[in-house]
Amino acid sequence: MAYLSMGEAHRRITDYLDRFSDAIFSQDVASLKQLLSLSSNSASLLSLAHALDFFQDGNRLLKQSDKYSQFGEIIAPLFRSYQSYRIGNLVDCYHAFEKAANAFVQEFRNWESAWALEALYVIVYEIRVLAERADRDLASNGKSPEKLKGAGSFLMKVFGVLAGKGPKRVGALYVTCQLFKIYFKLGTVHLCRSVIRSIETARIFDFEEFPKRDKVTYMYYTGRLEVFNENFLAADQKLSYAFTHCNPQREANLRMILKYLIPVKLSIGILPNNLLLEKYNLVEYSNVVQALKRGDLRLLRFALQEHEDRFLRSGVYLVLERLELQVYQRLLKKIYIIQKQKDPSKAHQMKLEVIVKALKWLDMDMDLDEVECIVAILIHKNLVKGYFAHKSKVVVLSKQDPFPKLNGKPVNS
Amino acid sequence: MMMNQGVNTQPIDPNPLEIHYIVDGNQGQTSSYLPSTTVSEATTWNTHRVDNHTIENGSLSNSTYVHSQQIEPPTRNDQDGLNATNLVGSSTFGATTAPQDYNNYTSYASATDPYGYASTGYPGYYGGYQQQPNYSYSQQQSNHSYSQPVGAYQNTGAPYQPLSSFQNTGSYAGTASYSTTYYNPADYQTAGGYPSSGYSNQSTVWNDGNYANYASHQYPNYSSGPTSSYNSGTAATAPINYQEHYKQWADYYRQTEVSCAPGTEHLSVTGTSNQGSAVPSVPGAHSTSSSQPSSTLTTSWKPEPPSSEYPSLQPGVTISGAHDGYWKQGAPSCQNYHASPMQSHFQKSFDLKNSYDNFQEQQKNAPQGLNSQYPVAHQVPPTYQSPLQNIPPLDSRRASKLQIPTNPRIASNLALVIPKTDKDGSTAGVVAKPAYISVAVPNPNDKVLSNDSADSILKPGMFPKSLQGYCERAFARCKSDTNMLAASQAVMKEIITKAKADGTLYTRDWDIEPLFTLPTPNTDNKGNSQSSTPLFSLPKYDKSPSRRSKSRWEPLPEDKLVDKSISVGSNTIKYGWDKKPLGGYSGIKEDALNKTEFSIPDQRTSSKSGQKPFKRQRLADVLNATDDGDASSDSDKEQGLTAYYSGAIATAIAPEEKKRREYRSKRFEKGQGHRATVSEVKQKNAGAGNLYSRRASAMMLSKNFDDGGSRAVEDIDWDALILKGNSQEIEKRYLRLTSAPEPSTVRPEEVLEKALSMVQNSQKNYLYKCDQLKSIRQDLTVQRIRNQLTVKVYETHARLALEVGDLPEYNQCQSQLKTLYAEGIDGCHMEFTAYNLLCVILHSSNNRDLVSSMSRLTEEAKKDQAVKHALAVRAAVTSGNYIKFFRLYKTAPNLNTCLMDLCVEKIRYKAVSCMSRSYRPTLPVSYIAQVLGFCASSEGKDEKESDGLAECVEWLKAHGACLTSDNGDMQLDAKASSSSLYVPEPEDAVAHGDANLAVNDFFTRATS
Repeated sequence: MAYLSMGEAHRRITDYLDRFSDAIFSQDVASLKQLLSLSSNSASLLSLAHALDFFQDGNRLLKQSDKYSQFGEIIAPLFRSYQSYRIGNLVDCYHAFEKAANAFVQEFRNWESAWALEALYVIVYEIRVLAERADRDLASNGKSPEKLKGAGSFLMKVFGVLAGKGPKRVGALYVTCQLFKIYFKLGTVHLCRSVIRSIETARIFDFEEFPKRDKVTYMYYTGRLEVFNENFLAADQKLSYAFTHCNPQREANLRMILKYLIPVKLSIGILPNNLLLEKYNLVEYSNVVQALKRGDLRLLRFALQEHEDRFLRSGVYLVLERLELQVYQRLLKKIYIIQKQKDPSKAHQMKLEVIVKALKWLDMDMDLDEVECIVAILIHKNLVKGYFAHKSKVVVLSKQDPFPKLNGKPVNS
Repeated sequence: MMMNQGVNTQPIDPNPLEIHYIVDGNQGQTSSYLPSTTVSEATTWNTHRVDNHTIENGSLSNSTYVHSQQIEPPTRNDQDGLNATNLVGSSTFGATTAPQDYNNYTSYASATDPYGYASTGYPGYYGGYQQQPNYSYSQQQSNHSYSQPVGAYQNTGAPYQPLSSFQNTGSYAGTASYSTTYYNPADYQTAGGYPSSGYSNQSTVWNDGNYANYASHQYPNYSSGPTSSYNSGTAATAPINYQEHYKQWADYYRQTEVSCAPGTEHLSVTGTSNQGSAVPSVPGAHSTSSSQPSSTLTTSWKPEPPSSEYPSLQPGVTISGAHDGYWKQGAPSCQNYHASPMQSHFQKSFDLKNSYDNFQEQQKNAPQGLNSQYPVAHQVPPTYQSPLQNIPPLDSRRASKLQIPTNPRIASNLALVIPKTDKDGSTAGVVAKPAYISVAVPNPNDKVLSNDSADSILKPGMFPKSLQGYCERAFARCKSDTNMLAASQAVMKEIITKAKADGTLYTRDWDIEPLFTLPTPNTDNKGNSQSSTPLFSLPKYDKSPSRRSKSRWEPLPEDKLVDKSISVGSNTIKYGWDKKPLGGYSGIKEDALNKTEFSIPDQRTSSKSGQKPFKRQRLADVLNATDDGDASSDSDKEQGLTAYYSGAIATAIAPEEKKRREYRSKRFEKGQGHRATVSEVKQKNAGAGNLYSRRASAMMLSKNFDDGGSRAVEDIDWDALILKGNSQEIEKRYLRLTSAPEPSTVRPEEVLEKALSMVQNSQKNYLYKCDQLKSIRQDLTVQRIRNQLTVKVYETHARLALEVGDLPEYNQCQSQLKTLYAEGIDGCHMEFTAYNLLCVILHSSNNRDLVSSMSRLTEEAKKDQAVKHALAVRAAVTSGNYIKFFRLYKTAPNLNTCLMDLCVEKIRYKAVSCMSRSYRPTLPVSYIAQVLGFCASSEGKDEKESDGLAECVEWLKAHGACLTSDNGDMQLDAKASSSSLYVPEPEDAVAHGDANLAVNDFFTRATS
C-alpha cells in the first residue's frame, strides 16, 4: 500500500474509535458488526490495520479520551488482532481477538438488553473461523493445533453468559451451533452432550423461540449425533425437521442435510427418488439405492467400497453397511416371486441351494452354512416371516406377507 | 458467590437475624478451627504449646487446654458467672433467637446420655435440629457459647475443644484437606523430610510457606512465654512472615488484640458467631452444663460419630497419632477430595467464605478493604493450619457421613428458593461441625479411660463420669495395640494426677478433653488405616446432590480458590487462638456484631475480588517457600512444582494463564523432541555430579522469579532433571514411585535390554513378568527413554497381557504404543493396529470410535493380514454373522484370538437366540457346536468333537435352552427355547465386573 501520511493514519484510527464508541452508545448493532467482522476483509478494516502499522501509538489515542478508553480493553487487543491479520499471522491474530472478545463479552454481560447479540454472533463466528485458520497454520508449521479447542472453551463461556433467563437467551442456540461445528471438527462430539442437555431440558429455552436458522443447524447436528448412535427414528425426525425448515435457496446446506437424511431414510426402508440424488449431487448413494431396489448385494458392496473414505468420514458407513440385510431380503423376495410364477403352490418353500446359487451369480462366494446363517438372521430380524428347517435346508415362508416392509421402522437389532 | 448470598438471605425467612446465624455458625466453625488445632495438634505443635504453657503457667499437663484456662482466669468466674457474662453480651444481639437456641439446647440435653452417645445421642441431636429449623444454626452457636462458658472458662482445656469442633464445620471438608496440606509443611520441619510430594498439589505451596513462617517466627513468640506478649508477638510476627501482603492482617490482629486482649480464641468465637445467636444459646447451654457440665456436650457431639459409623475413638486416634500417620492420611484424603468433589467444595466453600467475610468485617478494624484482607487472610492460614492436619481427614469423613442428617435440617430451616445451594451450604457448615465435635470429645474420654483401667490408684468411682468416658475412649484407641495401651495408660495416669493436683479433676470437662497423642510409633499404622476410611467416605460426599447445583458453565478453578478462602477463614481463627491471652470478650463481641451488618452486603465483592489476589499470593507463597527453605531438597522442589501446577489449574480460565500454559506445553514438546539426545549428551559429558548441580540450578531458577511464578517453571531446565540410572540389577520389583527416583535404583538402557530378554525367556508366571515389565517401563519413563527398546517393552507387555486377558494392562500399553508409533518409532505397528481395532469393535460398542478408527486406517494398513482380519471380524460382529465370526476365530493371526475370546460368549448367546427364533422345529446340537466353535478343530478327531459336543450341551443348558433327544442325537427345541433363553449370572463374577481379573482365575491361567 502506498505511503500513508501520519495525519491520515491518525484520522483513520480516530474514525474507527469514533464509530466504535458511537455504535455502542447508540446501540447500533449493524455498524458494530462491521467494526468487528475481521474476516470480512472489509476495506475499511484493512486500511485501519495499515494505518495502525504506521501510527505506532494507537493505544495512546485510545487513552486520550474517556470516550475511547472505556473500551480500551476491547479495542487495544482488537487493534493488535487487525494488525496481525493483515500480515497473515493468524495465530497472534487469534490470540488478540480472543482477548478482545473476552473483554467484549464482559461488557455484554453488563448490558441489560440483548441489543448487541448480533455483534456477539459476529465475534463468536470470527473466533471459530480464526481458530480454524490458526490451527491450519500451526499444523502446517508442525505445531500442535490447539486454537480451536481454546475457541471451544471460550464459546462455552459465551454460552454461559447467554444461557440464563432474559432476552439474551435467544442467542444461546447460535453459540451452541458454533460449538457443534467446533466439536464435530475436533472429533470431540461427546462434548456436545452437555450443551444439548441444557438446551433440551432447560425450561428457560423454548425451542420455537430461537431463530429459524439456528434451529435448522441445531437439528442438523443433533440429527447427525443420532445417526452415530444408530437411533434412526430420532435421526429421521431431526434431520427431516432441518430439511423442511432449511432455506430452500441454500442448496449446499440442503445437500449436507441429505447426506445424512438419505442413509437414515434408507435404513427405515424409504428410498429416495433418483432426481433428488442428482439434484443435490449425491450420486454416491445412487448405487446403494439401486442395490436395494434390485437386491444386488454385489452392487452394494461395490458402492460401499468405492466411496468408503467418504462414507467413513461422514460416519454413515456403518449405516449403509447395515442395508445388506435389506438387500438380502430383496433378493429372497425376488426368488420368491419367480418361484411363485413357476409354481404358486410351492412358492413358500425356498431351498437354500437356490439362494446360494443366486448369490453365486452375484459373485458372492458363500457356502451353505453361511447363507443359512444369514437366512436365520433375516428371520430373526423380522425381515422374513417364516422358519428354517435345518434338516431339509429349506426356508419355509409364511403364506401371508412373507417379506414385511419396514414402513418407516428400523430393522430390529 | 451470588448463589451463596442468595442462600443466606433467603433462608432467613423467620428472622433477619437468622442470616446472621448462618453466617455465624460458619464463622464459629472457622474460628473454632484454632482451638481444634491446638487440641489435635500434631506432636510438633504440642511440644510448642507445651513450652508456651510451661512458661506461662508452669503446668505442662494439658498443653493447650491448661494454657487457655490459666490465661483466662480473670474473665472466668465460676461457670455460672461466665455464662452470665456471655449471656449479657449475647442477649443484646440475639434476643429473638434466644428462645430457639434454648430449645435446641434442651433437645441436646435430652439426648445427652453421657455415654450412650453412639446411638441415642445422635438421634436426639438430630431430632432437635429438625424440629426447629432455625435450630441448626443456633445449635452451632449455642455450642460456641457453650464451649466458651463451660470450656473456656470453667474447664481448662475443654472449652477450646468445642470450638475446634465448630471450626471443623466451618472449614469442613475443604478446609480439612487444605489444612492437611498445611500441616505437612510443619511436619516437614519438625520431622525432617517426609514424602510430601505425593500430596495434593495445592498443599505444597502452602506448606512451604507455612513452614518457613511458622518455624522462624511463631515459635519464637511462643517461647517468649507470657500470654500478653504471646499475643502481641503473634501479631507482630505474622506480618513479618507474610511480608507486605500480610501487613493488613497484622493490623487486623493488633486491633483484635486490643479489643479482645484476653483471648483470641474468644475473639474468634465472639466475632464470628457469637453475636446474636451465640449468646442466647449460652443460657441454655449453661443450664444444662451446670447440671451436667461435660455430659451435655459429649452427648450432643457423640451422636454424630455413631451416625458416621466411625467410632468416636477413631477420630481421637487420628488426632493423637504420630505425625507420620497423619501425613499419610492427609495426603490421600486431600487427593480424593480434589479429584471429584470440586463442585461440592465450591458451594461449601462459599458458605464458609461468607462467614469468613462476616467475620472479617466484624472484627476488622483495619482500614483496608475486605478484598485486601481477604488475600491476606488467605496466606495466613497456611501457617496456622498446619497444626490442624490431623483433624482434616476425620472431618471430611464425618462430614460425608453426616450429610444426610444435616440436609433435612437445612431443608426444614430454609424455605428453599435455591435448594441445592442451601443444602450445600448448610451441610458444609452443619455437618462439619458435628464432625469436629466428635473428634474433640472422644479424646478426653480416652484419656480418662486409660487412666482408669491402667491406674488402680484412681478408681472409676472417684472420677466424674465424663472422665471415665474419657479414659474409655483413650483406651479404645489402643485396643488393637498392647504396646500403645500400656503407653497410653501411663499418659493417662499422668494426666489424671495432674488434674487432681490442679484441682481440675472434677471441674474439667472431660468429654471435651482431647485425647492425648498416642505415645507409640504404632500410631502411624492406625492413622493410615483411619485415613483410608475417610477416603471412601469422601467420594460419596462428592457424589452428593450438591454437585448438581454447580452450574456447568462455572469455571472449575474457582472452586479451588474458594476452598482456599475457607482455609483462610479458619486460619484467622487460629490466629485468634494463639493470641488467646486475656481480653474483654464482650467488647470484642460488640465490635463484631456491629460490623456484621455491613459484612453481608460486602461479601460478594470481597470474595470475588479476593480471588485474584489469591492466585498471586499463592504463587508468591511458593516463591517464599522455596526461598525460605534453603534446605530445599528434591522433594521440596517437587512440592513447589506440584503446588505451582495446582495453582495453574486453578487459574486456568484466565486467558493469560492459558497462554502461559500453551507456552509451557510447547516448551515441553520441544523438550521431548530433543530430550533423549540432550540428556544423553549431558550425561556423558557431565556425569552424575554435574547432573545434580544442574538440578540444583534449576531449583534456584525456580526460586528466582518474582511475578506470577509462571515463568519460573518455564525457566527450569527440565533436561537437567533427567535421570540416568546406574543400577546393574537385571531383576527389579516394581514399586510405584513416591518420590524422586534414585539413580542407584534405576537401570540404564543396556541393563533394561537384558532385563527384557530375561523376562521374555522367563518361565515364570504372568504376575512375575508383569511386575518385571512394569519396573522396566518405569525405568524407561524415568529416564525418558523412548526408542525401539521402549516399543519392544510395551509390545511384549501388551502381548503378555492379552494372552492372559489382562485388559487394563493391555490398554495402558496400547495407548503408550499409539503415541510411540506416532512418533515414528518402529515396531509391530500393524499387529497392534489390528488389536486396537478389535478392541474398539468388541469392547466399546461405540460406533463413532469405530468409524473414526476405521477412517484412520491407511491403505497400507488395510492390506495387512492382521488388520484385514480385524476388519472382517468387525463386519461379522456388526452383522451378527456368527458363522463368519467363528470361522475368523479359527484363522485369527497373532493374538487376535485372545481379543475375540472376550466376546465369544456374547456372540454365542446372540446366535443361539437367533437360531431359536428362526429354526423350526429342531436343530441338532452337533450343528450348533460346530458352528459356534465348540469343537476346537474341525479335523474330525472324534474325541475332540465329542468333547465339544458335551461342552456345547452344557453351555446350552446353562443358558436355558430346551434340549430333546432324538435317536441319541441331542436336538435343540427351537420353539421352546426361544422363550426360555437367558444369560446366566457368570459364576466367577467379580465386583469390578471383569471376571478376567479374578485373582484365582488369574493365577490359574498365569501359572498354566
